[in-house]
Amino acid sequence: MLVISGMMNGAIYGLVALGFVLVYKASAVLNFAQGYMLLFGAYLFWFFRVTVGLPLVLAMIAAVAAGFAGGALIERLTLRRLIGQPLISMVTVTIFLSLVLEGLVSMIWGTYPLQHVAAFPESTIRLGKMVLTTQSLIAFGLALLAAGALIVFFRFTRIGLAMRGVAEGHQIMQSMGISVRRILNVSWGLAGVAATVGGILLGSTLGFQLGMSHIGLLAIPAAFIGGLESPEGAILGGLLIGLIESIVSGYVGNAAGVPAAFVVLILTMLVRPYGFFGLERIERV
Amino acid sequence: MLTLSNVEVKYAGVILVLRGVSLQVPEGKIVALLGSNGAGKTTTLKAISGLLRTELGEVTAGSIEFCGGRIDRVDPEQIARQGIIQVMEGRKVLKHLTVEENLRLGGYIRPAAEVRSDMEMVYAYFPRLREKRTAVTGYLSGGEQQMALIGRAMMARPRLMLLDEPSMGLAPLIVAEIYAIIQRLAAEEGATILLVEQNARAALRISDYAYVMENGRVVLDGPSAALAENEDIREFYLGMGKLGERKNFREVKTYKRRKRWL
Repeated sequence: MLVISGMMNGAIYGLVALGFVLVYKASAVLNFAQGYMLLFGAYLFWFFRVTVGLPLVLAMIAAVAAGFAGGALIERLTLRRLIGQPLISMVTVTIFLSLVLEGLVSMIWGTYPLQHVAAFPESTIRLGKMVLTTQSLIAFGLALLAAGALIVFFRFTRIGLAMRGVAEGHQIMQSMGISVRRILNVSWGLAGVAATVGGILLGSTLGFQLGMSHIGLLAIPAAFIGGLESPEGAILGGLLIGLIESIVSGYVGNAAGVPAAFVVLILTMLVRPYGFFGLERIERV
Repeated sequence: MLTLSNVEVKYAGVILVLRGVSLQVPEGKIVALLGSNGAGKTTTLKAISGLLRTELGEVTAGSIEFCGGRIDRVDPEQIARQGIIQVMEGRKVLKHLTVEENLRLGGYIRPAAEVRSDMEMVYAYFPRLREKRTAVTGYLSGGEQQMALIGRAMMARPRLMLLDEPSMGLAPLIVAEIYAIIQRLAAEEGATILLVEQNARAALRISDYAYVMENGRVVLDGPSAALAENEDIREFYLGMGKLGERKNFREVKTYKRRKRWL
């Protein structure tokens, strides 16, 4: 049971970690605002579903589209001006961006948890002794699907390939006539989509509340363990973190779960600094 | 085809790197730009390709014209799309990608249908790249990386190729191989090339016309064959004595002969 619920949570971590990977792969920036983009995306869904009253599927589509626009807008307004500047300034921007996003959410929707909205039918399935909710199953499947789609996207599409190129050097790409700005814009948009999908899934299982953004923190070890450049690594890292968290909190005590995930992160960094599926640093002498 | 007139370049608004460079690249010719370290050769190329603007450099005076239009205020992506592709020095391959992915990105601005056939053309020029097409570029040898770079630039079907020191850090045999391919490119595809080199001997052999730069100025220019016979060039760049025989260190004078143009 612990294993199953860990895997289900882990799938969502993986989905959020995918957002980190998307941005990092194209721009080598660790986006600390990812968790808050998730929060924002989830509230957007709630807005379309409850306030506007759209049917479920339409609300999801609207929220995902808005998530894409939001991510692209963030890139356009802040990070574009920082192309070519030291990475630390971009990272700092993302850290404070998270506070801005959180502030926006509490300004618009208040700080109390919102009325519960289910994104998927709430039924349970019995598998022998185990009880699974359909929601977590769907979340699990969706996370795997998203990772698969991204792997194909990065390997076979023109723009996916260009994103991998941009990660290696902006000047090289410009010398080939490829607009670095457009590529970064799209990758931020996609990160917004990953965050929104994660937000909808998480919101419908845990409820729509400000605390959702903490998952961004747990997705960081997931992304690092898998390797920041690898979509498949992000999902596997997410599952691993989910498992560790649920097993440790089951056997050792609730408080130990989250720290255990970070201990594993540190150990991984010591053994493989670029994670399990990350790109090795190629140095020719 | 390409005309630079009195181009002046400043970095960060204060460092004057080019002090009025004028040169011309006619269509279908190979033009060489020679000079020692820090003469401003690479800066000249970056001014043309627009990459200067990504590193705080700026064309502060003069003009750069390509096929009748001014390009000294245009973004590098736009210049590349107009058909000027720079092969940067220092073998800037996309090292985590495979050779084939590098080539595909080179053809990014071309219609997708033609990328396949262009790739075949590149493989025909560089059979070695075909053998290594699924290899990660970062692990190739220096010569192979240089070939991948030139191939990547060819994928964009440039009207003008800017080649920055293709011989840097390569073994003489590889240099000869790469230069033979550049010559074939010019002969068979009618490519227009502006070649920057320190290896003056190799560059003068394959180019039609050459400019010599020093301290941000063009100090000498002429048809390559004539420059190769020029006394100063022979002494300072080709390392030969007056009569064309190799220098004998016993007879080297302790003072340096003044360069004529200083």
